[in-house]
Amino acid sequence: MKESAVGSDGPPKIFLRLFRWYCHPKLRDAIEGDLAELYHEHVTASGKRIADLRFIVDVLLLFRPGIVRPFQHRQPFYNHGMFKNYFTTSWRNLISSKFYSGLNLLGLTLGLSVGLLILFWVNDELSFDSFHSKTDQIYRINVNLESSGNKFAVPVTQPTVAFYGLKEVPGIKQAVRVSDFSNYSVFRYQNTALKGNVTVYTDPSLFTLFDYKLLQGDIKNPFPVTESVILTQSAAKRFFGNEDPMGKVLVADNKDNFVVSGVVADFPGNTWLHCDMLFSTELTKKKYREWGWRPFDEEQWGNYGWITFLQLQPGTSVKAVEDQLTKINIKHQPTLKPVDIGYYTLQPLRDIHLFGSDGNPTGMQTVKIFSLVAFLILLIASINYVNLSTARAVLRAKEVSVRKIIGASRYQLFLQFIIQTLLFFTIALALSFVLISLVMPVYNELSGKSMHFDLFAPETWKVIGITFLATLLVSSIYPASLLSSFQPAQALRQKLSWGVGNASFRKVLVVCQFTFSVGLILATLIISHQLQYVLGKSLGYDKSHVFSVNMNNMGGHYEKVKAELLQQKVIAGVTSADNNIVNVPGASLDVDWDGKDPNRTIFVHSTKIDPDFLPLFNIPLVEGANFTGAATDSAHFILNETAVRETGIKDPIGKRFRLYSMEGTIIGVVKDFHFLSLKQKIEPFVFSYQPESSRLFVKASGTDIPAAIRAVEKIWTQYNEGFVFDYSFLDQVYEKNYQSEERTGRLFSIFTGVAIVISCLGLLGLATYTAQRKVKEIGIRKVLGASVRTLSLMLSKEFMVLVLIAIVIALPVSWFLMQQWLEDFAYRDNIGWWVVALTGIGTVLLAFGTVSIQAVRAALENPVKNLRSE
Amino acid sequence: MKKYQLGEFEEVVMLTVGILYDEAYGVSIKKEIESRLSRKVSVGALQSALVRLEQKGYLRSREGETTAERAGRPKKYFQITAYGKKAMEYTKSTRDELWKAIPKVALDVKMVG
Repeated sequence: MKESAVGSDGPPKIFLRLFRWYCHPKLRDAIEGDLAELYHEHVTASGKRIADLRFIVDVLLLFRPGIVRPFQHRQPFYNHGMFKNYFTTSWRNLISSKFYSGLNLLGLTLGLSVGLLILFWVNDELSFDSFHSKTDQIYRINVNLESSGNKFAVPVTQPTVAFYGLKEVPGIKQAVRVSDFSNYSVFRYQNTALKGNVTVYTDPSLFTLFDYKLLQGDIKNPFPVTESVILTQSAAKRFFGNEDPMGKVLVADNKDNFVVSGVVADFPGNTWLHCDMLFSTELTKKKYREWGWRPFDEEQWGNYGWITFLQLQPGTSVKAVEDQLTKINIKHQPTLKPVDIGYYTLQPLRDIHLFGSDGNPTGMQTVKIFSLVAFLILLIASINYVNLSTARAVLRAKEVSVRKIIGASRYQLFLQFIIQTLLFFTIALALSFVLISLVMPVYNELSGKSMHFDLFAPETWKVIGITFLATLLVSSIYPASLLSSFQPAQALRQKLSWGVGNASFRKVLVVCQFTFSVGLILATLIISHQLQYVLGKSLGYDKSHVFSVNMNNMGGHYEKVKAELLQQKVIAGVTSADNNIVNVPGASLDVDWDGKDPNRTIFVHSTKIDPDFLPLFNIPLVEGANFTGAATDSAHFILNETAVRETGIKDPIGKRFRLYSMEGTIIGVVKDFHFLSLKQKIEPFVFSYQPESSRLFVKASGTDIPAAIRAVEKIWTQYNEGFVFDYSFLDQVYEKNYQSEERTGRLFSIFTGVAIVISCLGLLGLATYTAQRKVKEIGIRKVLGASVRTLSLMLSKEFMVLVLIAIVIALPVSWFLMQQWLEDFAYRDNIGWWVVALTGIGTVLLAFGTVSIQAVRAALENPVKNLRSE
Repeated sequence: MKKYQLGEFEEVVMLTVGILYDEAYGVSIKKEIESRLSRKVSVGALQSALVRLEQKGYLRSREGETTAERAGRPKKYFQITAYGKKAMEYTKSTRDELWKAIPKVALDVKMVG
């Protein structure tokens, strides 16, 4: 019994709270004290359970008149009738001036829709890989190297790190390695043969580390045999239709069989992994053994091909794990200098989408830019609303005055106009829902995402709620406080002296609006100009009409195939290499030359080619000669200019050079060409000789490209029976490298278009209003002999000054900000001053066009009609 | 004479407050009634009676000390006011008068029954 008294933690909270809530505040303390005292006694006497029960009964019995606090006079003033009236007047107001309401609604709907679309995109970007339950414990290993002052980080590492890390580093709970080597090109089940499946090799821990849902199969043992394969749901559907895929056999390239051991739910759009089929690393190990390679887990220290994720125990020091892994790496490669091995860093899973492996916020920057654009567009739309509703405030002056005279308080009037804004915004929001769901498919295509507009998802409402409330707040407070501030006596006498001050506020807002719009226009122009420059830049080689295909089983017959192909008129050239020249990202430090500074290392990119490679791609030699195809060529190298400069070799022809274990001499130097993204500088490059490589490049003569493709396909299929002919044009591969920039550019120009449209809508509304207000002035001027031209100019002048001010502010600011974006590109081209000037002139013309429509219309009207009344 | 209104339970509470004199607060009153009259008294009934009596001016209250068992809430001590005393006396005297008015015979019969 005593124990229960000690262990008691007070009476049931919820009933205590109930009591406190209903009890009269004057009595509350004393009665609660009594209850507590009794409770305490009951606990000691008969235990907590009984005491609780008695407490509850007491609390319930205490609920009686005299003790319950009075409720009626604490309630805030609420008047149903008044609210109804607010809605009625708001609605009538909306209906009575269809033109303004229409303009306002259109601007607001556009603004909200585009703002929301951008924010959905931003939200999707930020949500990458946040859905895993262990997200915060997962890190990716990046390898960092520094060469000749260049820092360099890659997201792939050796398979051995995870193996030794798990064994020797205490904080590591789980590890998973993933690689997308593709050993097979075609998979077949009965009569269904499919190519183009993205295949990866992975450890079974993939499914326990990440929350990828294994729909079928054993999560503890997803690959029961070495030749197991796990398919995604849609891949399984493609192969097997509605049949149960489990246990079915897929034939790879007509030689190897794989058993389907599991089906994983399709990978969501916002995760790092995208593939169709998953194989086990056990298979990799087996292949390495078959090829006589070093053991996969223990000795593959030179194999930088595996994305490795670690799950750390909560509370583990990331830095400590990084250091321990780096030490392990250095310990196992005693022949290399630590500086050449580099060091490991762990990057949190949450960051890998928006930050590069070197920590550069490449994706984050776009997210920030887009957030800013969304903010500006919403602001422009809000300004529109504020301007149009305050400009027309005069018309409401009488209504406000009468309400005040009857006895409305300022608070009530304020509320009335807030409600009016709310009504307006709700209609606009409903319309933008319709608009968003209509354009969502197009938007997805443009942005390369697969977002759904689901009105019932909490995620959607998070975005909508914040946007809606923020814009509502910005747009409602100023008009409401202005409208409710009228002095009835003055307003009824039409002495609207307050109008002067608030017109200038409107002018400030118009300037803001156009500053944003003009800034966005210039930014768009700079982005698209840079992209045009990148895509059209001379790369130092000619890739036109060149397509490439994997040799596969054609290997060994290259000379014969080449001779056959060259007989065709439609084919201009044939060559083979082991890399696609469009993108050669991999580089090695394992190089040496005479006079090399032992403390300085450089990365060298390399490709094996045959003698026809340089002529086919039209890469000019600066010095020396091309490969000839002679046997001695296997000890010959051709360097690019950057390599010569970086290595510091003087008179390179005939000098010694070593790449991996290949010793030889330099026989030529080629002019620099771009084999990386144009964001990067040209790096050292070396060609070595190999009479036949895995990739075939064919240059069509350009007269009949389809015929050239058919010719290659015909020969190719002779050797590759049962395979699918899979070719790609280098132009397309190249453009793919800039896909994300192009997307950003395209989205950006659309958003800018919307911003300028909304701004012009606002201007149109204001101009119309001004023209209406000055209708008598115009009439009198016209009667006195003013021409239509001078009248239009007079009306437009007021606005054009504002637009000019905006341009003067916006152009330099936007120019300056865009220079920072351009800094990302190693090769950039700035737009000329004339583009900036054109932006300014274009905006002026657009604004002038918008305003003058109204001005001319007002000036053309018959003055008699306007002057007759009153 | 509807001058002094005092219900049965209210009278019991008033008397108990008198008995406890300086020690009359919620819990002690409740216990005193329960032990003397051996009947259950709920906190709710007692408190609403106390509130009523205070409103009528028969009782007055003051705040007292706090203890740990009371979770830091002060005790609320009650005292009979002069007006309250009058009300009690009035009730008692009316009862007595009524008692006296009963013929002896009537009571005898009752006892037998």
